[in-house]
Amino acid sequence: MMAEPIENADSTAPSDIPNGGDEFRMIAESAPVAVWVTGLDGKRSFVNRVYAEFLGVDQESARDFNWRSILHPDDSARIIAEAQAGKAALKPFTLEGRYRRADGEWRWLKSTLQPRRDGDGNPAGFFGVAHDVTETKLAELALREREAQLLVFVNQGTAGFSQVDISGRFTMVNDRFCEISGWPREELLGRSMQSITHPNDLGRNIPLFERMMRDGTPYSHEKRYVRPDGTLVWVNNSVALIRDDEGKPLGSSCVTLDVTRRREDEAALRKSEESIRLAVESAGMATWELDLDTMEGVWSLNRFDLLGLPRRADGRGSINDWLALIHPDDVEQVRETAYACFDRGTPFMIEYRILRADTGEERWLQSHGDRIMAGDENDLRFVAVSFDITERKRNEEELRTSETRFRTIFEEANDYIITADLDTRITSVNPSVVAALGYPEDALVGRSISEFLAPGQMEVVERLRDHKLEHGGTTRFSVRMRTHAAGGDLIWEINSRLTLDALGRPTGIHAIARDVTESKRFEMHQRLLIDELNHRVKNTLAIVQGIAQQTFRNPGIAMEARKAFEGRIAALSEAHNLLTRELWAPVPIHQVMADAIAPHCGGDRCHIEGCDLTLEPKTAISLALAIHELATNAVKHGALSNEAGRISITWQKTEDEKGKRLKLAWVESDGPPVSVPKRRGFGTRMIERGLAAELGGSVCIEFAAGGLRCEVDAPLPETAE
Amino acid sequence: MGRKIFIVEDEPVVAMCLEDILLDFGCSIIGPVGRLSEGLVIAEAVEADAAILDVNLGGERSDAIASVLRARGIPYILATGYGATANTGEHIVPLVSKPYCEEQLRSALESVIAL
Repeated sequence: MMAEPIENADSTAPSDIPNGGDEFRMIAESAPVAVWVTGLDGKRSFVNRVYAEFLGVDQESARDFNWRSILHPDDSARIIAEAQAGKAALKPFTLEGRYRRADGEWRWLKSTLQPRRDGDGNPAGFFGVAHDVTETKLAELALREREAQLLVFVNQGTAGFSQVDISGRFTMVNDRFCEISGWPREELLGRSMQSITHPNDLGRNIPLFERMMRDGTPYSHEKRYVRPDGTLVWVNNSVALIRDDEGKPLGSSCVTLDVTRRREDEAALRKSEESIRLAVESAGMATWELDLDTMEGVWSLNRFDLLGLPRRADGRGSINDWLALIHPDDVEQVRETAYACFDRGTPFMIEYRILRADTGEERWLQSHGDRIMAGDENDLRFVAVSFDITERKRNEEELRTSETRFRTIFEEANDYIITADLDTRITSVNPSVVAALGYPEDALVGRSISEFLAPGQMEVVERLRDHKLEHGGTTRFSVRMRTHAAGGDLIWEINSRLTLDALGRPTGIHAIARDVTESKRFEMHQRLLIDELNHRVKNTLAIVQGIAQQTFRNPGIAMEARKAFEGRIAALSEAHNLLTRELWAPVPIHQVMADAIAPHCGGDRCHIEGCDLTLEPKTAISLALAIHELATNAVKHGALSNEAGRISITWQKTEDEKGKRLKLAWVESDGPPVSVPKRRGFGTRMIERGLAAELGGSVCIEFAAGGLRCEVDAPLPETAE
Repeated sequence: MGRKIFIVEDEPVVAMCLEDILLDFGCSIIGPVGRLSEGLVIAEAVEADAAILDVNLGGERSDAIASVLRARGIPYILATGYGATANTGEHIVPLVSKPYCEEQLRSALESVIAL
């Protein structure tokens, strides 16, 4: 505070002022600040009450108080030096520093010392006033400290910080801003923010800046700075207006973040989104979105293709573009579903038909749609993907048709259809099976087939199952089924094959059976009838034979005649045996020949050879009787009457102008010399007439010298075809 | 006298014919019997070297007689109008088909007894 006390030795005018001026003294005495007066010698001639109170002494003592003793050590040397200098200069000066008050507290005092002059204008000493500025000083110090801290923050922060004036010229930048922008501080401070902003971004930047200058609206935006080397940096700037004390715009302050990396990440993300979009679209999925305010939005290009619409340059389409193409029968359903999604957010998956805009072709589409919140709840959008499922639909339709077809066959067939697993456990039966066996379906399915077979039949089923497993293919067999229904056992003829999985591995057995009970019964009945017929025919022949035998026993009747007769009856009987074996069906010619010749010709003396032919029973009997006659004759007179003779019976099918023919030849050789009989006997005539008549052809017997020949030329018997 | 042959045959003319053939072979005849019941009674007691059985006796099979003969160790052959289709059961028995033919009958008989 107080300047060096000024000696109050001078009693002239200056000293008179305090002493003589009561008015001044009163003012000084009552001032709220410390006031004192010194002479040229520095001694204090006056101190006021405040001055004394600070020191804690009376005013008298205060005049002589050594103020140097209460100076703060940090301020002491400086203040003493300044005081001496000020005193010597005889000019006004101020001192500022800490003094210890009487209560021991350090107080900041600011002293102002004013030279004073006597009436002659000569220097007379100083007039001093000391303010207690402790509070101000502390506030200032605190502010300075905060500023220092702020500066550290500003300079070392991750954010760039800058200030510009109202024209955009940089007035302050921190280190980080220099780093981000790439410009050195000294360069920046001579430039405007506009000069380092990418020209393409100024279009957005300047209006924002100008508006802020106008009405104070802060803004935040992203833009690019161009660095000295020409490279770009993306920044996010938050900009606020700075005003002066009167509220007038002074410029702006800006916090800058480097967002290049984020922009790159976003670009990468967009790229990956693009890849996803491409993948989705190349998978045949068309994407679209709808702004629910305008009911139109962006369509993927393939969505236009999907609907048969021309691709639009702006890639946009509306809800009505879509609905207009939906099949009339489907459109209401689709509209309802879509609007439920638009209005209430119900996601959907629908299948519907469209009529293509270009060709009018009907196609099936599947669409998935959902409502999403893009930003806040006021920004609702609808997004969807659609794709063509016509092929699938058609396949399904075909499958359904075919399924229905097979289901119908399965359900309605009179045939019995049974599926079983490989262990012959029944897995399904059709209604016919249920009806035929008289068990309910659930008593059949899951049970072994063996439970429904007559004894001994399961072995057959298992053997054929194993055969199928080994060789594949279909097996056909008859089994006797046990039924729960009236009428007893049934005989089923079963065709079965394995069911295979996609890899060709057997999974079970599929069997279709037909009831052959009736036909088996009929067959058996017919068999009995034929047997009975045969029995009667043979018995009749036996009776005829017996009668003949008894008749021929009379003396005078040649034994030879009896033998001939018996032979003919026997031949007839043998032919019947063959017919009996074949159940009166057409019989093979080879068998007819072999059976007819067998009683007469053993070993290899007979050669029988010809093509496969079957003969009607009647033809077969005629032929058998003819062969019997030829053979009997051969035994009596021809090739079989010696040890060396041989017989060859051959036939073949030929074709000439008269059509298809059978040619048969009986040729004897190595027999005794042949003599032409004087009279044609019964045998010869029977062959030449009977057989010729039966066959409708010609039969020629030639008594050739080398051996008898019999040649038959007849139209090919019908069954031979 | 030759072998004693028991004849079971329901058709008289055929039986006569069979008799004649057998007599020609030098055999003596027991029967002929034409009915199953009668045949069974005789078969129980008959002293014969062999028998010829018609399989079908007026609609009845003669199997029962065959069983008795078999049980008594009397060899027999079967005669049938069914040809080769006659059912001979599990026993292998010579089979001749009617009408009888001397050669066939002789070889069938000789396969069971010496004539």
